[in-house]
Amino acid sequence: MYKPGLTIWYNVANLERTLTFYTEALGFTLDFQDDDNRMAMIQTNTKDCCIGFAEAETVVPVTSSTVFEVENMEQAVEKLRAQGVTFTGEIETIPDFVKLATFSDPDGHCFELSETLVAHT
Amino acid sequence: MTNVRIIQTTQELSGRWTIPILLTLQQAGGRFTPLGRQLEISPSRLSSNLKKLEEQGIIKHLSPYDRRHPLLPEYQLTEKGLFLREAAQAIQAAESGLDRGFLAEKSWNWPVMLALHYQCHRFQAIRKLLQSATPRILTMRITELCEQEIVQKLLTTEPRPGFNYWLQPDAEPSVQKLEKDLYSLI
Repeated sequence: MYKPGLTIWYNVANLERTLTFYTEALGFTLDFQDDDNRMAMIQTNTKDCCIGFAEAETVVPVTSSTVFEVENMEQAVEKLRAQGVTFTGEIETIPDFVKLATFSDPDGHCFELSETLVAHT
Repeated sequence: MTNVRIIQTTQELSGRWTIPILLTLQQAGGRFTPLGRQLEISPSRLSSNLKKLEEQGIIKHLSPYDRRHPLLPEYQLTEKGLFLREAAQAIQAAESGLDRGFLAEKSWNWPVMLALHYQCHRFQAIRKLLQSATPRILTMRITELCEQEIVQKLLTTEPRPGFNYWLQPDAEPSVQKLEKDLYSLI
């Protein structure tokens, strides 16, 4: 029934500011941009997983988290911080399960990085 | 009664942004920033104009929670808005026929022209038909319409000496067509 792929759509206040954040700070690539309709899509690191943006007069930040899996949490946080991403709090660890770090985009939509930990047996 | 309704419709559509917004809203997908770019209007001015149209029941403002996708409209025309959009198209057609610029930009321009079309040629008769217009604004609009050679001012002695106002012969067909178009819409 489902085709592979996942797209997440967000309302944003300023398309240019958003695209700068997603391409320069997060390092994703711009897929396409329609300036007249004030919309754009970026391609994430995962095939067929995209994020779409359209400008709106009123933006209500989405609090459900979109989570990106990383190889090494400390390194990823350090790299993204250097690229201008502001994290909310410190890295949180759920022992034997996952490490999490939370940040938001310029409109306040929530995101997380996660590093899945291998359980000790 | 229909005459009054026709006049009210043109008055309701007057203003710098009312007709442009009504005619552009749908092609901008009902979304705020594409609309602002197409109209080349500042966000704050667009916002206040949309608010005014919403208060008049011409458009509906959808809250972020009503919108299921960021590409869906933020503003939609109501039933009244859909009617006024058709009326706005008729006014636009009449104005392109008249070729005197954007006349609906100023309040009372079209009501005055329609009053003259309805055979109100004396100032007091025009005033009586357009009840909520002040004498001052009517005088101003009639003077401007004379300067634009849409209206002519003629001296008459019957029944008593005074001025009569008439549409210029080349303006009459456009006004007549607009009246007919709005009549059939109403």
